[in-house]
Amino acid sequence: MEDDEYEEGMEMGYGGHHRGGHAGYGGEEDDEVGYGGGDGEGNEMEEDEEEDEEEEITQEDAWAVISAYFEEKGLVRQQLDSFDEFIQNTMQEIVDESADIEIRPESQHNPGRQAEFAETLHKISFGQIYLSKPMMTEADGETATLFPKSARLRNLTYSAPLYVDVSYRVMKKGHDCEEVTETSDYPKVFIGKVPIMLRSSYCTLYQQSEKDLTELGECPYDQGGYFIINGSEKVLIAQEKMSTNHVYVFKKRQPNKYAYVAEVRSMAENQNRPASSMFVRMLSRAGAKGGSSGQYIRATLPYIRADIPIIIVFRALGFVADKDILEHICYDFSDTQMMELLRPSLEEAFVIQNQQVALDYIGKRGATVGVTREKRIKYAKEILQKEMLPHVGVGEFCETKKAYYFGYIIHRLLMCALGRRAEDDRDHYGNKRLDLAGPLLGGLFRMLFRKLTRDVRSYVQKCVDNGKEVNLQFAIKAKTITSGLKYSLATGNWGQANQAGTRAGVSQVLNRLTYASTLSHLRRLNSPIGREGKLAKPRQLHNSHWGMMCPAETPEGQACGLVKNLALMVYITVGSAANPILEFLEEWGTENFEEISPAVIPQAAKIFVNGCWVGIHRNPDLLVKTLRRLRRQVLPTQQLGRPLFIVENQRLLIKKMHIRALQQRETPDEGWHELVSKGYIEYIDTEEEETTMISMTISDLVNARHNPEESYSGTYTHCEIHPSLILGVCASIIPFPDHNQSPRNTYQSAMGKQAMGIYVTNYQLRMDTLAYVLYYPQKPLVTTRAMEHLHFRQLPAGINAIVAIACYSGYNQEDSVIMNQSSIDRGFFRSLFFRSYRDEEKKMGTLVKEEFGRPNRENTMGMRHGSYDKLDDDGLAPPGTRVSGEDVIIGKTSPIPQDDAQGQASRYSKRDHSTSLRHSESGMVDQVLLTTNADGLRFVKVRMRSVRIPQIGDKFSSRHGQKGTVGMTYTQEDMPWTIEGITPDIIVNPHAIPSRMTIGQLIECIMGKVAAQMGKEGDATPFTDVTVDNISKALHTCGYQMRGFETMYNGHTGRKLTAMIFLGPTYYQRLKHMVDDKIHSRGRGPVQILTRQPAEGRSRDGGLRFGEMERDCMIAHGAAFFLKERLFDQSDAYRVHVCEKCGLIAIANLKKNSFECRGCKNKTDIVQVHIPYACKLLFQELMAMAIAPRMLTHDMKTGKDQKKR
Amino acid sequence: MDRPAAGASYQRFPRVRIRELRDDYAKFELRDTDASMANALRRVMIAEVPTVAIDLVEIEVNSSVLNDEFIAHRLGLIPLTSAAAMQMRFSRDCDACDGDGSCEYCSVEFHLAARAESDQTLEVTSNDLRSNDPKVCPVDQARAYQQALSGSDFDPNTGDQRGILIVKLRRGQELRLRAIARKGIGKDHAKWSPAATVTFMYEPDIRINEELMETLTLDEKRSWVESSPTKVFAIDPITEQVRVADAEEYTYDDEVIKKAEAMGKPGLVEINAKEDSFIFTVETTGAITAYELIMNAITVLRQKLDAVRLQDDDGDLGELDAHLGGP
Repeated sequence: MEDDEYEEGMEMGYGGHHRGGHAGYGGEEDDEVGYGGGDGEGNEMEEDEEEDEEEEITQEDAWAVISAYFEEKGLVRQQLDSFDEFIQNTMQEIVDESADIEIRPESQHNPGRQAEFAETLHKISFGQIYLSKPMMTEADGETATLFPKSARLRNLTYSAPLYVDVSYRVMKKGHDCEEVTETSDYPKVFIGKVPIMLRSSYCTLYQQSEKDLTELGECPYDQGGYFIINGSEKVLIAQEKMSTNHVYVFKKRQPNKYAYVAEVRSMAENQNRPASSMFVRMLSRAGAKGGSSGQYIRATLPYIRADIPIIIVFRALGFVADKDILEHICYDFSDTQMMELLRPSLEEAFVIQNQQVALDYIGKRGATVGVTREKRIKYAKEILQKEMLPHVGVGEFCETKKAYYFGYIIHRLLMCALGRRAEDDRDHYGNKRLDLAGPLLGGLFRMLFRKLTRDVRSYVQKCVDNGKEVNLQFAIKAKTITSGLKYSLATGNWGQANQAGTRAGVSQVLNRLTYASTLSHLRRLNSPIGREGKLAKPRQLHNSHWGMMCPAETPEGQACGLVKNLALMVYITVGSAANPILEFLEEWGTENFEEISPAVIPQAAKIFVNGCWVGIHRNPDLLVKTLRRLRRQVLPTQQLGRPLFIVENQRLLIKKMHIRALQQRETPDEGWHELVSKGYIEYIDTEEEETTMISMTISDLVNARHNPEESYSGTYTHCEIHPSLILGVCASIIPFPDHNQSPRNTYQSAMGKQAMGIYVTNYQLRMDTLAYVLYYPQKPLVTTRAMEHLHFRQLPAGINAIVAIACYSGYNQEDSVIMNQSSIDRGFFRSLFFRSYRDEEKKMGTLVKEEFGRPNRENTMGMRHGSYDKLDDDGLAPPGTRVSGEDVIIGKTSPIPQDDAQGQASRYSKRDHSTSLRHSESGMVDQVLLTTNADGLRFVKVRMRSVRIPQIGDKFSSRHGQKGTVGMTYTQEDMPWTIEGITPDIIVNPHAIPSRMTIGQLIECIMGKVAAQMGKEGDATPFTDVTVDNISKALHTCGYQMRGFETMYNGHTGRKLTAMIFLGPTYYQRLKHMVDDKIHSRGRGPVQILTRQPAEGRSRDGGLRFGEMERDCMIAHGAAFFLKERLFDQSDAYRVHVCEKCGLIAIANLKKNSFECRGCKNKTDIVQVHIPYACKLLFQELMAMAIAPRMLTHDMKTGKDQKKR
Repeated sequence: MDRPAAGASYQRFPRVRIRELRDDYAKFELRDTDASMANALRRVMIAEVPTVAIDLVEIEVNSSVLNDEFIAHRLGLIPLTSAAAMQMRFSRDCDACDGDGSCEYCSVEFHLAARAESDQTLEVTSNDLRSNDPKVCPVDQARAYQQALSGSDFDPNTGDQRGILIVKLRRGQELRLRAIARKGIGKDHAKWSPAATVTFMYEPDIRINEELMETLTLDEKRSWVESSPTKVFAIDPITEQVRVADAEEYTYDDEVIKKAEAMGKPGLVEINAKEDSFIFTVETTGAITAYELIMNAITVLRQKLDAVRLQDDDGDLGELDAHLGGP
């Protein structure tokens, strides 16, 4: 369904190359503008024109258009629209497409009684579906509307009940052939709960005002686009896939058996089946071993073991004559080159000259073995009808269409083989499709609904067979859909639990570190292919990514280039039905195959809808023009599109007056969509982009008009709205990214997600497991235009620090920075850290329940060593309590069943299940929430807060991928100062600059200085005409050295520093990595139970691994004793007693000093051996497998020892 | 400057000339001394002149949006009038109390109680702080009091008279606390630093090579003069001669020298920093006056020097010891 397109893959029969497409704008237009003529005259004419008409818009005006876009669409429109499509259409379609459940009672052996009716038929059909607003049913049965806030806090699922009209009919046919139909309608039967995407049209927050949102405890800047499952926010990551129903031709790298391969992954609409692939391969020219010289062409059919010569496939389809077949492939018999290429194939299939023989040939190579010829033929027929190219049709009488399509595949293959057409590009983004929340949930819902109907059928069947009354309410198990959807959304495993073919990581926990990271997460894409494959191509930036994918924002390492982020203005369309377009095409003179003879094909253009060849058209230019015009007026229905200004006659269609109207509009409903529907702007997808000529800026267009000779193109069709919109969310925060080395922008895109700021305005009302909030966030002094729409000013993540680039004392070497301690004292980069702990009173069995409360040492077993003093009587630490180390903050016990059999059971009646604070953290209890969850159990969340003051080791970064840790803090008097008495907040080392080439940071700094001086914001949007010289001049007039340098004085000595220092305000970010969360050391400590080796990880107070490389080092040094100490004494040293006779572990009682090996009846020859515990474990495991590892303590080689024994 | 002969006394007799003196601002010249002296004075002014600032906060009720630590930090940064700070004791070596702050020698107690009753946002500011010692109070309160005394028109809600904002309260929110201010120095925490800006510059010595200058055309002169970001030079409108307009405007940016070189006239001007002449600019936070700051700085510096001198004798650091919180 997502493949719905108005038209694609338009081919010019005469042109050969599909790039001929944009020639559609030729003709009359050229005459009007008159490029050919003398330019003097032409220009004059144009200037006159300009005066007459409205003036051209400027790049600044483009920003008004961009604002209108974001005002209307926001940044997560793709998610919302996709989900709405699922709710409003897909769900009903899935219910409709499921066939009625028909049940006939299985004849039961029932002696002595004859059935009343000759035949009964039970029919269950599903009708209209109804979705309510999100609801929640409490444990006591009370139902109320659910708001996202309480779903988040109480770990509920934000979902709405789904109802469907069910009609149940029983048709009874009596022995007298009299038919009786009993119909009972069950209106609105509850069939499950569907999680609702926030801010979608079924969400309670839909179109609420900012004030109402605040009152509901929501952040007005939050844009929705995610789900709440069990209290945690989940995003569905868009999944990239190869588009289906397209023919791709690839050249094979030689030497290879095949020279060319054409492939189609065919998938019929509304079919929940994996795509059926068809390959058509052309063999390489004669192998070295001689053999047949032909370049045979063969096709792979589904379920057929061997490749079938193409001619045989044609014959099996009913096209027997050579002429008929050739007509379908090569259309034009005068094309001798192509005909020649088909000759070997014709010769190969010469022996089969009849449809039945051809079908039998195919059938023999199928799964059927040892069946009759008739069956084989039937089988082959079915395969051709149902399995081959299902998107063309699976009904009867599709042979003509299929033959044409099959012929087209071969045609394409031959075109490529003849070098008339380039091979297809697997990585071209036009060949990719994206599955968003809608299609993903649709697939899941289809599967679950089928399961539901299957269950209903088996239940009803059972009832009917046993002659019981059918109760539909019992038959329909709402849990199937409810928990099926919940499971996939909660775990990210797309598909049913424990079933193969599920994708992991489709649903992810929404990142809430910074507002920008949240936004970026909602616009993320994943390509499931690739994995560990070291093929670089799918990871590389492709030309067709321009404007669609952010060129900077991608993770480093494993997923590099596979995880992508949408550019700012990109929208993913939901698609529409193909039928209206087919009707339209028919109306506008498309001829289908029945009406034409193949001979006219070369003169006409083929028309494809969703990869399906529907016919030809003799005047494609006109058709394309009409289609485009119509599309501009109706709604856009593409794939992954971006808006562009439409250009006609080298002139934008949008005029100044439209911008003015836009700026002066009062109601929001005449914003962006108005511009689209009036045809000033249209969405262009990656496939159509290939047929356009886009000018980069408006001024390029003006220049092209004035100097046609020097212009790049005389036939612009579109114009970029602004080139900076090629960037994504995170890269749009970087000032002057066009002055940075590109990997630096990638690094910053990753780091911006770790910066602290204010992640949502309602953070005090939320109980996130982890949250960082900056005390005094500032909006940046140097901004980009796109930031406005990312709300970076409202929810900033950083501080405008005064940064000096200098060597001062040497404590800022190797990417460390010196920080001003006095600034820190005054609140510089101070931040809050929140951590929430949660617990619930679980039910244990039917009667016994855990209980919150203060455990008592007298009667409670297994209490922790932390302090229980901070708990109140209710078992919770109250807000304002200072907690640290392993203090218990939630006290909980479970009763122990009193078992008198055990003697010591009397003392303890409870077992401790308390939650204590992480041992490395401390802070204050900030907020305690006590409520009930979905099961009506008492449920608590405790939020701990602590203040994090910057200190040595904390991590900071500028917006240019320049990260560093604090190496030293100096108080104000020790810092270098300028004549004005200014001391820097941060000193970074100059060596961080030359090799990294982050010139953007330097420009940001001087622009920041000018901005601070003039009390304005600096504009650092990329691809504008701001120059360093302009900024420098402005700085000079402000009374500073124009390049941002200042003479500074040493704070320790008061002497002038020899070099001038580059100093100015630079926006810095505090990253979430802080020493206090990392610091770790251990002498002795906890060990693993199994191996008795030290535990791993800081959270468990684990040891620091002495790894292989460290071991190698010690070996190289010959430090054997040290090595033994590390690997044995300090790890899992153990001693065992070994029988000297058998070499197996003996029984030792050290207290009684008795040693014994029972097997050898040996009580004297026993030795003590020191081995690692892991070694002992291994020996015992081997013994369990009936392998006896013997420890021989004597040297076997020396004969002397042997003799002694 | 002649260097004294070996064994001779290095003692110099610095001169100070005060150019401008206001409550929170001072500009003075310090001559006939070394950079080390000037810098010591600067450093002491920033980091070692004691003031009083809120150091301990006991929160009774806080239902505001800011948490307790946040408010405590903000309270600490409010400058308090600290004229008496030199005479106060550090609470760590106050023998009249056990450091809990409930003692008149080392601490001042403040109270704050605010509750928003109306729908209008209530701004809790430093004006809401109630001190138990009239000598120590937030600086803007003191200034308002002074203005009221002098009889000038006083409206507490205009301009910078509104006090320093601590937190905003919405209807029903409340803040009630007890705070204790103590004496401290800027080295320990910047809130105790009385200095907003303390800076000095080496007095520049600018010599224009008049002869060479005359070889320039007026336009060249103009462009040369304008090459300096600050107004150091000017062109006499009548004689069209370049003169030094204000030598102290020079920021040692070398722009004019580079410009002269670029024009092919190296040596057009010669600029040297005088090694023994400093121009200080001092601004205070208002905790003490600029005059007090300078004088107290000299006192502290003297105490420190005394301590160094006495160190040879008996290792007793005396008052410096107290100042530094020694053994």
